[in-house]
Amino acid sequence: MSTTELLILASVIGSLVAILVFAIYYLAVSKSESMSLTAKEEGYTDSNAYWREQLYGKPRPLSWSIFSYDDAKSIGLRYIFTSILFLFIAGAFGVMMRVSLFDPNPVIIQPIIYNILMTQHATLMIYMFAIGAALGFGYYLLPTQLRLKRDNMGHWSSVAYWLWVLGGTLFVISRSSMRWYLYPPLSLQLLPTGAGTYNWLAIIAMELIFIGVTMAAVIVLKVIFIDRADDIPLSKMPVFAWAIVFTLIMLLSSDEPLMVGLGMLFYDFFNPVFFTTSTSTPLTFAVLFWFWGHPIVYIAVIPYFGLMYDIITRFSKTPVYSYFSGVFSLGLLMILSELVWGHHLLNSGLGIDWVLFFTTASFIVVIPSALTVFNMIGTLWKAEKIRLTTPMLFVINAILDFIVGGVLGVMLANQSVNEVAHGTYFVTGHFHFIFVGLTLGVTMATFYLLYPTFSNGRVYDERLAKWHFYITAFGSMLMSVSWAIGGYLGMPRAVAGYFAQFQVYQDSAIIGGVIIGIGQLVFLYNIAKSWLAHPTTDPYNILEYRTETNQEIGGGE
Amino acid sequence: MNSKVKHELIYSLVVIAILLAVAVVNINYIDGHKANIAQPENNSTVPANSTIIHVTGYQWAWSFTYANGTTSTDKLYVQAGHNYTLQVQSKDVIHDLLIPSLGLQVYAVPGHPNQVSFEPMKKGSYIFECVEYCGQDHYLMRGYMEVSS
Repeated sequence: MSTTELLILASVIGSLVAILVFAIYYLAVSKSESMSLTAKEEGYTDSNAYWREQLYGKPRPLSWSIFSYDDAKSIGLRYIFTSILFLFIAGAFGVMMRVSLFDPNPVIIQPIIYNILMTQHATLMIYMFAIGAALGFGYYLLPTQLRLKRDNMGHWSSVAYWLWVLGGTLFVISRSSMRWYLYPPLSLQLLPTGAGTYNWLAIIAMELIFIGVTMAAVIVLKVIFIDRADDIPLSKMPVFAWAIVFTLIMLLSSDEPLMVGLGMLFYDFFNPVFFTTSTSTPLTFAVLFWFWGHPIVYIAVIPYFGLMYDIITRFSKTPVYSYFSGVFSLGLLMILSELVWGHHLLNSGLGIDWVLFFTTASFIVVIPSALTVFNMIGTLWKAEKIRLTTPMLFVINAILDFIVGGVLGVMLANQSVNEVAHGTYFVTGHFHFIFVGLTLGVTMATFYLLYPTFSNGRVYDERLAKWHFYITAFGSMLMSVSWAIGGYLGMPRAVAGYFAQFQVYQDSAIIGGVIIGIGQLVFLYNIAKSWLAHPTTDPYNILEYRTETNQEIGGGE
Repeated sequence: MNSKVKHELIYSLVVIAILLAVAVVNINYIDGHKANIAQPENNSTVPANSTIIHVTGYQWAWSFTYANGTTSTDKLYVQAGHNYTLQVQSKDVIHDLLIPSLGLQVYAVPGHPNQVSFEPMKKGSYIFECVEYCGQDHYLMRGYMEVSS
């Protein structure tokens, strides 16, 4: 293509983008003008405050107007749907990684691209999907579950949301290949063969994500502790509200070390004084990272425990087996999980005492997890009748996957196993059991439950939803089991190629991964199909509202 | 005491008992295998009958320097029934040497040399690999340990 043609093409694309941006800008501005005019006529100077009061307590369907309003439910919808968007982006990256491992040598995707996909998959899944969906469900469900007295932090929530989105977008643009551990000196190598040429942008993006998430966490905690209705004491809150409380306290008490560490890392780009000099060691950064890096994996789990409790009680028509022990073990999980982060560095040469302390502490953290599981099983046991709707199937599968993944985790806490399995696919299998089975599964369960509200009274196809469930559950099981077995035999993770002897485990994991991907396409098709149909039910979901009509449906038909 | 609290107590105690047993096994293992766990390099803690092999990890290969001064890359030559101590360092970024069949794992950290001891028992050829992501050709940072009798 000649220079002239290139210029013409660039100007055409540039004009189209400019027209699109202007159209969005025009629509947003005219909408906000008309909104503030209406508010002025009603005697309000703050248009957003007026609309927050107008929307208060009503079921909130999805529409583009969530970007104009900033009441808690609109913010919640923004978080939920943005995190699902990032789930699909990161999931597509994950399937691409799987497919490229078809052959022991990288022939489909080159190692540089593979490493970028790996970094993006992990970071987006954790920071943009798991945390985002947890915050979203918090913002969306708590105002009705706790019948808020006031909803006055909309501006701040909106800023927090946009910072988080900006961070996630910049992270994708940075094409970083440093892996989500961000260990220096690798993350300081601004080369395509190291951490990626634009890795400095990834560090800024991470910092933006952290600022956004921290702001949102403070706001949600304020909503729970200060704004909830006077007749709902702490001891009567839904387990989900408690789960969000513990998650966010954990988030706020452990993300500062990494925020500081990222700042120091950024300084090291210009003047390496912190982690790579003769008097320091990169392990200092690893310690700062894992002080946050371990709690983060519980942040991706605890809110979903809360949702599981709530969903189980809705479909088994029985109260939680033991409310006290449920809340107590989630709280214990929060405290203990901040004491076990060192088990990610057992073989780093930090000393025998380090190994002794952190392996033993890792066994203790299993106690609250086991109590949670037993409590859920107890609730199901007590129920006279369990309705196996799609959300309930997802939740039961989540319990099963959490047990399997948890047992693999206990195995890893043994130093003798850790020496063999650390850094292998065994670990990947361990946490994908929990992340796919529990985090993804419960997100989908909650999404299905809330779907009539999201879509203003439409119902999804129950048969397709069940297919979605069975395909996802089977794919996840196949993928994670293959990884766990292969990993125990020494199959290293985070590699673009591998020893030919591991091909059978990789190939079966590829089949599993592709099956999970197909399952999510069924989900998309189901949602798209039902969205085009006419509303046939009322928009009151059973997670937030108790009405006469919604008790028998599970959001589907 | 109602039946609910009783059930809760029973399952809590069963979980705690199982974990306690596993924790004791684990502490026993650590106590009995101190030299086999990665630890900071220190010549005074090398077992008496052990031969030192110097290992250097760099992007993207492992090099092994033996007591007689010879060097091999991505190949580790050892003899069955002898005790060896690997003293591991890194030239550039963090690496992690794993020999799965021996259950031996040690990080190679720049500025923080580590050591770990092992004793191969059976003749044969075994894989080893880098399991800490270290850049483009991380997956090629692997090789074979040849155990002769």
